Amino acid sequence: MEEKTWVRMVTAQTPTNIAVIKYWGKRDETLILPVNDSISVTLDPAHLCTTTTVAVSPSFDQDRMWLNGKEISLSGGRYQNCLREIRARACDVQDEEKGIKIAKKDWEKLHVHVASYNNFPTAAGLASSAAGFACLVFALAKLMNAKEDNSELSAIARQGSGSACRSLFGGFVKWNMGKAEDGSDSLAVQLVDEKHWDELVIIIAVVSSRQKETSSTTGMRDSVETSLLLEHRAKEVVPKRTKQMEEAIKNRDFGSFAQLACADSNQFHAVCLDTCPPIFYMNDTSHRIISCVEKWNHSEETPQVAYTFDAGPNAVLIAHNRKAATQLLQRLLFCFPPNSDADLDSYVIGDKSILKDAGIEDMKDVEALSPPPEIKNAERSKGEVSYFICTKPGRGPVLLADESQALLHPETGLPK
Amino acid sequence: MAEKTWVRMVTAQTPTNIAVIKYWGKRDETLILPVNDSISVTLDPAHLCTITTVAVSPSFDQDRMWLNGKEISLSGGRYQNCLREIRARACEVEDKEKGIKIAKNDWEKLHVHVASYNNFPTAAGLASSAAGFACLVFALAKLMKAKEDNSELSAIARQGSGSACRSLFGGFVKWIMGKAEDGSDSLAVQLVDEKHWDELVIIIAVVSSRQKETSSTTGMRDSVETSLLLQHRAKEVVPKRIKQMEEAIKNRDFGSFAQLTCADSNQFHAVCLDTCPPIFYMNDTSHRIISCVEKWNCSEGTPQVAYTFDAGPNAVLIAHNRKAATQLIQKLLFCFPPSSDADLNSYVIGDKSILKDAGVEDIKDVEALPPPPEIKGAQRCKGDVSYFICTKPGRGPGLLFDESLALLHPETGLPK
Repeated sequence: MEEKTWVRMVTAQTPTNIAVIKYWGKRDETLILPVNDSISVTLDPAHLCTTTTVAVSPSFDQDRMWLNGKEISLSGGRYQNCLREIRARACDVQDEEKGIKIAKKDWEKLHVHVASYNNFPTAAGLASSAAGFACLVFALAKLMNAKEDNSELSAIARQGSGSACRSLFGGFVKWNMGKAEDGSDSLAVQLVDEKHWDELVIIIAVVSSRQKETSSTTGMRDSVETSLLLEHRAKEVVPKRTKQMEEAIKNRDFGSFAQLACADSNQFHAVCLDTCPPIFYMNDTSHRIISCVEKWNHSEETPQVAYTFDAGPNAVLIAHNRKAATQLLQRLLFCFPPNSDADLDSYVIGDKSILKDAGIEDMKDVEALSPPPEIKNAERSKGEVSYFICTKPGRGPVLLADESQALLHPETGLPK
Repeated sequence: MAEKTWVRMVTAQTPTNIAVIKYWGKRDETLILPVNDSISVTLDPAHLCTITTVAVSPSFDQDRMWLNGKEISLSGGRYQNCLREIRARACEVEDKEKGIKIAKNDWEKLHVHVASYNNFPTAAGLASSAAGFACLVFALAKLMKAKEDNSELSAIARQGSGSACRSLFGGFVKWIMGKAEDGSDSLAVQLVDEKHWDELVIIIAVVSSRQKETSSTTGMRDSVETSLLLQHRAKEVVPKRIKQMEEAIKNRDFGSFAQLTCADSNQFHAVCLDTCPPIFYMNDTSHRIISCVEKWNCSEGTPQVAYTFDAGPNAVLIAHNRKAATQLIQKLLFCFPPSSDADLNSYVIGDKSILKDAGVEDIKDVEALPPPPEIKGAQRCKGDVSYFICTKPGRGPGLLFDESLALLHPETGLPK
């Protein structure tokens, strides 16, 4: 190494994901091993993603991390596990251009700086830890020249946050629960990529919530300890559903996909309710959204929309195709219009072109929407939804080569 | 029989009941045979009851019924089943004073008039069909001098409405699911009478609801057909809980009673959520009430209050004793104060003396209540609760001899 200090930096972008067959309950708290398989759809990182810059330099005297601009502690078990596991897989690095040469055994003496940024609010309950830990692990793996493939990396990300392992791939992803005690076979595999079923459109309703949510970690532990229905779900129901879901995805069978996704979301929330003390993640608005979708699906020959809810009141609605998504958005805007003082441009974000397809250009068009014919006495519940995000299934993690997108300064290694 | 026509009349009063181990799901729709046992507490008919007058006269040319003043049809299967089963058990009647003599084989040619009245609103979701069918069957049995005991009568009431069978007794009652195909062993028995555990105080929160509820009959059929958790509940969970609940009641073990009651209520609602389409009986207010109770119970060493919810958002809260009930009503009135224009006298009904014990005489006292110390940032949700009813475990059906209480005119047999 030269006398002048150097900084080696890598910036990655990772998507988040939404489970359609849910993970809820661990058989090992430390290694984060689940009691059943889960399947997810990766969301388009163009709309929802985590961007993480990792840097290493002999001038750094400790590991440090900044999340959304604020410095946070890396002392917790989950961060320590990820750092340790990745460091153990670090290899030689040679960057002739920059004159950087790092031997395998140098890594254990070097410290890293990490800056991470979510382009969606943490408070929105949109699984920021999944995207965050996946990005951290992926970026560090690239920084340290680890040779592991994304499935092997997912087993490390899993130790940061269970659902993070599913963000190491695009399209539809399965987290195999594994059998090994050490969790080495508990990892994610890609079922199909994001192009396989690219007509799907995903609309997320971010629901206004008064309550602070029960954390997933605490909640699922209480469920494992107190729900008499959880084990039956894990042993009897999920294994069959996982097989059926894989078939439905492979065959682009939307009817089966929707029936399974809705049933599994509801059963996950049923187990939460069967917990002591009971956990209520969905609220009245969530129920009204479900009711809206159920009525429409029932009135059509075949389901048009699948719904799924994670550990919070937000609805993730997966429409069969663009046409169904457009009709869905019209119904949602009728039932859940914005507050009078709201700006349409911030009420539907992500792929905003859906509004044009729906014939909606301004608030007057929202007010003029007709009630869904399948709902008797349809009510308009203003202000119950904070905003909508329109997105679609998306790709897995990537490196960002553009230096302007790095979150750390290339010379100091501190946040820009 | 004398030439002048006669009217024989009987008036009965029956309580309603609330299940603490829930009935949800039939194995036979026609005979109304359940998939599991259930246990209930009978509520004091002084506060909630059905009064039914039944009359028979050769001058009646058809069976007729009036419910809460409105004539209704008796042609439905459930009414026909009850009428047929009771008529089959009718015996000789002789009333020398009135000169009435009815032979056993006369009954099949005679018609009855029935007038029934609930002293609580049907819209309040307080199980009016249970009290109603129990009262109909009990009153007709007395009118027709059937020899059957209350357990045998419960097997008939059961065919009108499942939970009606449990209203044939006071105190705590068990509906044994039975094994026989013809349902002859599916009936109610009294576990203990209303004096056994008379320190219990019951407060019902009648919750404002925007939605029309899914009927229990439809809902439980959908659950049987689509919930993958229901069978496990019925076969594995409920049998153990029934035994534990019987022990808890026998031993007046409130801690166990509360844990079992809350867990079973939550599991029933979990099965509703696990149904396709999902059924939501509890709403945000119901959840807030549960949260309030769970926090208080957790802060005390041992549970003070049990909660249970039927097929609707109303909360039935069972307090350990008068002191706990008084503290509970203070916490409830803090969290769920009446609307500004409400009258305290109609906001807490039933045993209103609980207000005096709570030191609450007028709306000013309600406004002055301190926040419950165990709830951080306790909010006051005005208007979420329509009103409260304070009651207690009560007695079973009885005859009312006071003619002024009869709902039919003694000479015409028509509603007064």
